[in-house]
Amino acid sequence: MKTARKTQALVVGGGSFGTALASLLAKNGKPTLLWVRREAQARAINRKHVNADYFPALKLPESLVATSDIAAAVSEAPVLFMAVPSKSFREVARQIGNYLTGEQILIHATKGIEPGTFKRMSEILREETCALKIGAISGPNLAEELMKGFPAGATVASHFDEVVSQAQALYAGSPLRLYGARDVIGTEIGGAFKNIIALMSGAAHGLGFGDNTKALIVTRGLSEMTRYGVALGADPVTFSGLAGIGDLMATCTSPLSRNFKTGNRFARGEKLGDILASSNQVVEGIPTTIAVYQQAKSMGLQLPMVRAVHGAFQEGKKVKELLATLMGRPTGREAERLQTWG
Amino acid sequence: MKPADQKRAVVEVVARVLHDKTKDPNRLEPLIFDTLYEERRRLETEKDRKKAKSEARLYRRLQASALRGGTEQQREVLGELIRHFAEEVLGHFSEPIYRLATQVVPVGLNLLLNTLSPLHLLKAVRTGFSKLDDQILIEGETECFRDLAKRGTVILVPTHCSNLDSPLIGYVLHRIGLPPFLYGAGLNLFHNKIIGFFMDHLGAYKVDRKKTAPLYRDVLKAYAGYSMELGYHNLFFPGGTRSRSGEVETKLKLGLLGMGLNAYIRNLQCEKESPDIFVVPCTLNYQLVLEAETLIEDYLKEVGRSRYIIEDDESTQVKRILEFLTGLFSLDSRIHVVFSQPLDVFGNPVDAAGNSYDRRGRLIDRKKYVAQAGRYHFDEQRDSQYTQELGDSVLQFYRRDTVIGSVQVVARVIWSWLKQTNPAFDLYRLLRTGGSQSSLALTEAYRRLQELIRSLKVLQAKKKIRLDSSLDSDDPVALLADALAHLKSYHRHPVIERKGDRIFHYDRQLILYYQNRLPEIEVAA
Repeated sequence: MKTARKTQALVVGGGSFGTALASLLAKNGKPTLLWVRREAQARAINRKHVNADYFPALKLPESLVATSDIAAAVSEAPVLFMAVPSKSFREVARQIGNYLTGEQILIHATKGIEPGTFKRMSEILREETCALKIGAISGPNLAEELMKGFPAGATVASHFDEVVSQAQALYAGSPLRLYGARDVIGTEIGGAFKNIIALMSGAAHGLGFGDNTKALIVTRGLSEMTRYGVALGADPVTFSGLAGIGDLMATCTSPLSRNFKTGNRFARGEKLGDILASSNQVVEGIPTTIAVYQQAKSMGLQLPMVRAVHGAFQEGKKVKELLATLMGRPTGREAERLQTWG
Repeated sequence: MKPADQKRAVVEVVARVLHDKTKDPNRLEPLIFDTLYEERRRLETEKDRKKAKSEARLYRRLQASALRGGTEQQREVLGELIRHFAEEVLGHFSEPIYRLATQVVPVGLNLLLNTLSPLHLLKAVRTGFSKLDDQILIEGETECFRDLAKRGTVILVPTHCSNLDSPLIGYVLHRIGLPPFLYGAGLNLFHNKIIGFFMDHLGAYKVDRKKTAPLYRDVLKAYAGYSMELGYHNLFFPGGTRSRSGEVETKLKLGLLGMGLNAYIRNLQCEKESPDIFVVPCTLNYQLVLEAETLIEDYLKEVGRSRYIIEDDESTQVKRILEFLTGLFSLDSRIHVVFSQPLDVFGNPVDAAGNSYDRRGRLIDRKKYVAQAGRYHFDEQRDSQYTQELGDSVLQFYRRDTVIGSVQVVARVIWSWLKQTNPAFDLYRLLRTGGSQSSLALTEAYRRLQELIRSLKVLQAKKKIRLDSSLDSDDPVALLADALAHLKSYHRHPVIERKGDRIFHYDRQLILYYQNRLPEIEVAA
């Protein structure tokens, strides 16, 4: 597990996005560790320089070191990126919390909301670790494109300037441009919420509708995202950036997006259970829909598209009928509704 | 503060503020002239004309000097201004009085508070003044607080609703065996005949809150920070001023609170043997509030634009203070002083041995928060965020350790009933007219009381709130009687009264004020 030079970053989570983040760092000349759960997987990555589970055809940089020894990995790295699914986020956070010190920076890249508690990932990190210098990274970052080195951008948000500048310094010169922000809530909400909209957009695509429909879904989805975010204390301006509209554009239209793909297959008649079982990647939009739906209900927030996605994926309602219901809603004046986030 | 420390403090405060303010030479001139402008404006209303004349002379001289000179001379002018402020703040601190306070005054304080009730005096002669101890209940993490005060410097940060808060804290500190804490008290408190007497004896230094120049605040902050480094325990109310609405603080002024972290980093840099600074949130809970009528009136007059300094409230009237205390003693009313979980300067809980823990109860090396490559350093943006974290933790404990009594519960029942029966009324109309019904049936009041008590007990079981022993039983009859007796014992005009089988509401401003202390729980119609 020893790297030749002093480790500068640890990426926690060997899924597609974690691998992409780590790979970019290593390619950028930053000594990087990638923590994966299974020792055999770590060994395989170190030996073959390939993450066979997610990118069997893509080569990882040789300087990237994988490990399953979380204690040693956490103790070594001044900056940690958390890229684990929201479902296991708390458990992993608690684990790394055993070894973390207040000096370290903790940035997460998980786009979800914890069901039941409605907690954002940064809140979980605060609860499960002693870290205070916490941040969130979010944006249109399809893992495969990042792996191929295509130019991309994301928002890195933290209340601590040091967190933003450290993250920016690590990725400076890489194909991933990081824009700084203070609005952690908005950045996290944008990343989580767009998965719900991607499910709907994918479903519309599956039903054979065209780009006009997808654009309508994305735009009204942005409005709902903003309304929800503002109610939780986000800055509405954040949603006009990479973590908002930027991420919506990529996720709601790209065939590489797992949430879009899930919506697409579901609308074509496949069972949700079968779709999820056939994917080795987590479809965050499904648990996020449940969490947002329940929270919005408890807050008295009107989120018609979230309600429709919940109806389709959780209540067994027909997507086509739900879309028809959405189309039948009163329209009003768009600018006024946007201004009031209504 | 010891005389030697006091001299060092002036030198150090001047040096620190001057260093901080001269980092950017371009800011020097505007800072001097803005400060002088603010000061001249203040002098226009200064009552002490002799002092005003002398200060005006000083400011004229400084202005002329700043206008004539270059950067170096302006630096000197700024230094003189800072020194003027620093000497004024520290000049008000009396070492002999502070020493006396640690030995003699608490006994006198006890005596005086006891004698405010004639009945009490009689009892006190027989019982050796033990009654006050029964009525002022000290709860929470007292042992831990006491231990930490021996290990490091403690900043005590209580909630604030009355001018009686500082004498109360002074008394309580004495009772648990701690010396008076340094406390920056508004000049207006010293003008008060009764409270001023105590203030002089509570380790208080005088703060002129009419001095609005930011430079003056910087001097106060630097002084507080330096005193912490020297190991003097500090007391301040982070809410900034008394809660006007009756609500528990939901926002804090973080400037002074942040000086704890500043002092901690400096202590680490100097490798002090006991560098630690601990923060102890504290809630002060009365059934009735001495200045309730004035405070809520002020709040409602201009919500959000209320007066920062009130010089003519109930706490300035000896008679009102006597009435208030007599009422409390005659009713055996309890005042709860709750010392919350002590915290480090980052908002993490601390145990009696001074160890910090994360939220999962794991030990933390708190020095790491300010370390980089083994060195301890300042980072303005980072440190302000740490202080924000600390402030958030303090607020959580304020809510959790607020003690709710019968008056607040009954007020909530009446207020929520008023709102539910008059949904179309806005706040001011409801306060003015009282809505469509002047009373509610006793049976309905009891039902609502029972329901609210149930909800509050659920919160109490979850440790989200504390309840006075008047809520121990679920008996709404006794609870209502207790609340009505309290309200009648002090407030000049009827607030809530029972007539036959109905409850009448009169002073809805006070009902609003007292019910504001409760968290958001609606009572179902």
